[in-house]
Amino acid sequence: MKYLVKKLITLIITLLLVSCAAFIAFQVIPGDSVTLALGTDFTEEAAEQMREELGLNRSIPARFADWMAGAVRGDFGTSSQYKQPVSQLIADRLPVTIWLAVLSMLMITVISVPLGILAAKSSGGILDRMITLITQITMAIPPFFLGIILTLVCGILLSWFTPGKYVAPDKDFSAFLHYMIFPAMAVSIPKIAMVVKFLRGSVLRQLSLDYVRTARSKGNKESAVLVRHVLKNALIPVVTFLAMVTADVLAGSIIIEQVFNLPGLGRLLVVSISNRDFAVVQAIILYIAFVVVLINFLVDLLYRWLDPRVE
Amino acid sequence: MSERMYENIQENIRKNPGGRPEKNTGENRREGSDLLLAVRNLSVAFPGGKREATVVDTISFSLRTGEVLGIVGESGSGKSMTALALMGLLKKGAVRSADAILFDGKDLNRVSAEEYRDIRGRSMAMIFQEPMTSLNPVYTVGNQVEEMLKLHAHLSKEERKQKTIQAFEEAGIRDSAEVWGKYPHQLSGGQRQRVMIAMAMICEPKLLIADEPTTALDVTIQARILALIKKLNREHGTAVILISHDLGVIRNICDRTLVMYQGKIVERGSIEEIFSNPKENYTRTLLDAVPGIHKRDDAKAAGAYGTAAAEYRDILVSVRDLTVAYKGNKEGLFGRRRVTEAVSHIDFDIYKGEILGLVGESGCGKSTTAKAIAGLIDSYTGTITPDNRKPQMVFQDPYGSLNPCKTIGWILEEPLKMQGMKRAVDRVAKAKELLAEVGLPVEYAARYPRDLSGGQRQRVAIAAALITGPQLLILDEPVSALDVTVQAQILDLLQRIRRQHNLTYLFISHDMNVIYQICDRVCVMTQGTIVETAAPRELIANPKHEYTRQLLASVPE
Repeated sequence: MKYLVKKLITLIITLLLVSCAAFIAFQVIPGDSVTLALGTDFTEEAAEQMREELGLNRSIPARFADWMAGAVRGDFGTSSQYKQPVSQLIADRLPVTIWLAVLSMLMITVISVPLGILAAKSSGGILDRMITLITQITMAIPPFFLGIILTLVCGILLSWFTPGKYVAPDKDFSAFLHYMIFPAMAVSIPKIAMVVKFLRGSVLRQLSLDYVRTARSKGNKESAVLVRHVLKNALIPVVTFLAMVTADVLAGSIIIEQVFNLPGLGRLLVVSISNRDFAVVQAIILYIAFVVVLINFLVDLLYRWLDPRVE
Repeated sequence: MSERMYENIQENIRKNPGGRPEKNTGENRREGSDLLLAVRNLSVAFPGGKREATVVDTISFSLRTGEVLGIVGESGSGKSMTALALMGLLKKGAVRSADAILFDGKDLNRVSAEEYRDIRGRSMAMIFQEPMTSLNPVYTVGNQVEEMLKLHAHLSKEERKQKTIQAFEEAGIRDSAEVWGKYPHQLSGGQRQRVMIAMAMICEPKLLIADEPTTALDVTIQARILALIKKLNREHGTAVILISHDLGVIRNICDRTLVMYQGKIVERGSIEEIFSNPKENYTRTLLDAVPGIHKRDDAKAAGAYGTAAAEYRDILVSVRDLTVAYKGNKEGLFGRRRVTEAVSHIDFDIYKGEILGLVGESGCGKSTTAKAIAGLIDSYTGTITPDNRKPQMVFQDPYGSLNPCKTIGWILEEPLKMQGMKRAVDRVAKAKELLAEVGLPVEYAARYPRDLSGGQRQRVAIAAALITGPQLLILDEPVSALDVTVQAQILDLLQRIRRQHNLTYLFISHDMNVIYQICDRVCVMTQGTIVETAAPRELIANPKHEYTRQLLASVPE
């Protein structure tokens, strides 16, 4: 309980610092939403009037305090570009990003854990070398290129899906899932390669330790030694990496969303930054910080379960 | 083993090529009934690769039911390889060959992998040297011991737990029900080794192989673990193969012993024979090399080395009211740090020219004291005068203390660079001088630590400590990781260097034998305090503190 309270306080402080930094960053970068919104209609008077309407002519601390007061109540303001409440904008796009993350993480864990163990088990053998070669190649492919290849091979050549034809989850959920498999593949393939490589090394390191010899001396089968004794130990460093990947994917995969025409958070973020849509950017940044802190917390819990030496 | 017995075994193999146990025909039973293990021409080799080597070279020996057999030899003599070969646990790349390894009616050369697995743990169990790392860190010890029962017995969950707790009790673990749910890191080294023993013994194996079971433990615990092994041997009739580099340990509990050297058995016999009348030169060297407070006529020990403490009058370093407290990690952003006192209010002086011993179990604060004097710890209270002393340290682990990426020459020159010796020629000359001084060829300057043996590395570490010309050398368990024969050489070297350079040593060890052999005075430490200071002879003849008596009582004879 004490631990939870501590974590909660840490979370609040982190969010406060992050939003503060984002706020300041937005004051520093050139260009503002008013100029962009007015476009060719720009006159000094019109800009002044619009600033007045949006409350942009007040001092920075006052505006920050205002924004904070809203944020605490769950009101993140209105987007200057979409003229919609920010919370609505994000709520619309969040499911896409979350589903993409869930599918990718599933693929990553289900595929890379057995492959990593297999590679370590046959270390130096033909299977190991093949796995190493494949992971080496897939790791080197940039995500956008992988997206294009997947679109070309699975979409156009094999017709497993219609490129660009995204279906919203509330319209047809199974069609949505079917479409999402491919961007999830594009996200997970390079990460799978990394996890396999990482896990292989970790398992090999564990295999050289004394407790493995003890496990064998008890009369365990080699498979039992690997799965029961080595895996839990070997996963400890890998979990940190998986957590980083999860946070990364949950923050929105900007490039993959672009390639597969997904209305996710990553795209919203890019568009909002270029339009100086401060309210949206600020909210997304808060969301990302929240996700990172939350995942760190979950990893902490997972660590305690995996490694009893962690206090 | 008599020829007759061996023929019986041969007969057995011929009749029984699959190695399956045969319903004993009367004759075999009577003649070979108490023969548990017969090894004939066992070899272990690492073929191919850079270092093609035969590490065990056609050895034969046998073991009767309930017998305790010692295998003694220095590291690299092939004793551990012999044990692993019996268990079938050799590393990849090692090849075992033997005419026969008869164990409990089966020829281990011919059993299937599955049968071998069943033998392992059920009828042949092993405990290892490193209790700190031999248990899986992520499972409770109860869980790990129960795994033996899962593999080899059919018991319910509740029965397994009961039996495990019983085994813990028998292995002398106090609060066994509580220990059952603990993780290895929550237990001390001695407790972990007891857990290992409980684990090995829970299926009541016919043979227990103990590979240096007490080497990593403190002397007081060492004696108790040996007594435990002996007790289990007596009560259950379990045969034991005890592997050790320490003749004292072997003498303590074994009936017979084999002496191994470079993969061969050079001598075998009963304990009395080996100790009173060693036939081989190597055995004699091994016996001589054992430093001992129990050696009655050891003129070398106290006579030549030990000088009366009264000779030294000038104080080199004076320690007053030294306290070192460690702060634990903060828990989270707002947590408190836990503070533990590793050393608590100690006073002592180091006289110029003497060897002052600091003895005690691990965790008693001796290394912390040394670090404080060496200036490696800043956060102490109390005074250490003079302040401007520049002692050098030599550490226990000759493998881990030298940078593996640098040549020996570089390692020796580094302190000179920091002292400001600008010309490379001077530095090289000085490094070579020191190499010669510690008895290494000057060509070694171009080699890397991995090319050197443990003893040679420790010589390098001593040279590196000497190169800046310190007055005080702090030696933190400098010989604990070395074989006895090498240990004696390093102790000799330290003595010679001290005389030549007029050095003073602070010598830290947990080993009373070594302390006795080399020190002028000894401080006995326990739980962060010094409980007694005296000359070694006086300490042995007349120990004043209870802890000193305990320490002395646990030295194997």
